[in-house]
Amino acid sequence: MTAQAVTIVQTPKQGASLLTARSRTRWVSYLFCLPAVALMFIIFLVPISVAGILSFTDYSLGNESFTWLGWKNYEVIFGRSSYQKMLWATTAYVLVVVPVSIGLGLGTALLINSLTRFSDFYKAVYFLPVMASFLAMALVWDLALHPTVGVVNQTLARGCGTWIESFFGFGWLPWVDGAQSWYSTSCADEFPLWIGDRDYALPTICFIGIWQALGFNMVLYLAGLTGVPRELYHAAAIDGVTSGWDRFRLVTWPMLGPTTVFVVTITAIRSFQVFDTVEALTQGGPAKATYVMMYAIFEKAIRQNLVGFGSAITIVFLVFVLVITYTQRYLVEKRVHYS
Amino acid sequence: MMGKTSPMAEALKHAMLIVGAIIVILPFYVMLSYSMKSPREIDTNTGGFFGAQEPMIDEYCLKIGTPSGEVASEELKKSCLKTPVVFNYVTAFDKAPLIRYLLNGVFVTASIFLIQVLVALPCAYALAKLRFWGRDMVFGLVLFCLLIPVHAIALPIYLMLAKVGLINSYAALIIPWTISVFGIFLMRQFFMTIPDDLIDAARIDGMSEFSIVWKVMLPCAVPALMAFAIFSVVAHWNDYFWPRIAITSDRNYFTPPLGLREFKGDADGDIYGPMMATATIIVTPLIVAFLLAQRKFIEGITLSGMK
Repeated sequence: MTAQAVTIVQTPKQGASLLTARSRTRWVSYLFCLPAVALMFIIFLVPISVAGILSFTDYSLGNESFTWLGWKNYEVIFGRSSYQKMLWATTAYVLVVVPVSIGLGLGTALLINSLTRFSDFYKAVYFLPVMASFLAMALVWDLALHPTVGVVNQTLARGCGTWIESFFGFGWLPWVDGAQSWYSTSCADEFPLWIGDRDYALPTICFIGIWQALGFNMVLYLAGLTGVPRELYHAAAIDGVTSGWDRFRLVTWPMLGPTTVFVVTITAIRSFQVFDTVEALTQGGPAKATYVMMYAIFEKAIRQNLVGFGSAITIVFLVFVLVITYTQRYLVEKRVHYS
Repeated sequence: MMGKTSPMAEALKHAMLIVGAIIVILPFYVMLSYSMKSPREIDTNTGGFFGAQEPMIDEYCLKIGTPSGEVASEELKKSCLKTPVVFNYVTAFDKAPLIRYLLNGVFVTASIFLIQVLVALPCAYALAKLRFWGRDMVFGLVLFCLLIPVHAIALPIYLMLAKVGLINSYAALIIPWTISVFGIFLMRQFFMTIPDDLIDAARIDGMSEFSIVWKVMLPCAVPALMAFAIFSVVAHWNDYFWPRIAITSDRNYFTPPLGLREFKGDADGDIYGPMMATATIIVTPLIVAFLLAQRKFIEGITLSGMK
């Protein structure tokens, strides 16, 4: 009784003190936001504008003045063959790494999710590449894929003339001539130089990218799978959905829609940014086969001090990334899932 | 999930996952194994996983021990005899100031995280719990900056740093990362879930807004901050792109990945052992931490999935 009375008496006082607190907080709010807002300007907005302006010039560090070039830098990027190769290499990298790493990531997640035992073990193993320095692992792959000393080619060479060759030559398939297969011709001649060969360099760089992205995508899909309600599978079973493929096609895949949109976006943006493997292993070569955008910016703007031109590549890169992001936003708003 | 599985199906799944796991593990195996092998074993791909550990002659030790034109004495040869694993790891630390690189890495990574928290926490608190004119604009700015990949602003930031003469300094390594818009966004979302009553109670107790942030909100946010710490530390310990741009020549500011990259310059096979030893040293801390706290790490790394 008394306690209640006391609270009632205190209420107006409390309200008043809160009111003064609220007016006091206004100044504090600005103070709290000031460092963050200032840094957002200095680190995001100003640099983007600077890059945008410089992309129309021939500016380079150390020069006092620069000339206005208009769209010339952009015309070079889209018009000259070596930069068309750059756009092609970057796009090809993204178009290979995104679907393959997502497909494998989803496959691995489904397999792990359906296991009764050891699922934590596989999860940890597949996630290891995400934790390791990409540069360090790129250098290890470089060594593993070394034409003569590397484990990969030595292991492949050991398989020559054994059942491994006959198996992977696919000569046991009636419509395949084993002697003409990739494995057999490589055995007779030599195994690829991998990153030193212009035909193999980009696929090899893609492979390392997939190797690294797989675990990340798998974990996102595992998280997505926990969000699929079990009742849906029961309901599907009642409706006569029996085969595993149908369950996947009709229940799992649609329910994973939002996860897929997110995974595609983040993998695509990360793939556009590939740099470590290219810088350390191929330097864009051989014959510009792996000349990706990030490396081009580094080489042109920082190594060769062609800042204006490098800025133009930066802006093109930014536009690519924004297109991907807005596509994602659009898809998310359209509700990619059916719940 | 898919109902009962037959033992056959289960075995098949394990088989597929094991094949994948072998490919995933392969470079880690190569790295660890080569970090223990002698150059000859690496060249011939012999010695199994650990290498035979037969004593080998350190050519470099021979070279500095003998005056030019003379033949190395037997005694010197004996003193230059080393066990491969010891040779590789000692060379890793000797050839380059690896300790310094590692300390640089720790310093830069820790500074980045601390500054990020110092900048993001008050702002996130203001955005989540305080009412003021322009709040929506600030939040809109955060959302806009979230769209911009850091790779796109690397070049102009490099120019700005070059203009003020900060290239080749710790500041160059840290400044671009002082603001994490993602951190602000994340902490704001987290603070939204904290009841207003808690903050009002703190105000009635006479706490200033400043101490509310650090003494009330910060302790509440520890789980979210832990995840963010892992996210930030893993990203910046492993980052190669920005250090490669910001540190052009001065080895005093090299981070571990830059130190490792130096080995790739001279391509003679002898250097592979120490190079792999260095790679092992750089990769190990995070891998060990991950294996000890798997769930926390997976949560932290996939944080960006929460958007």
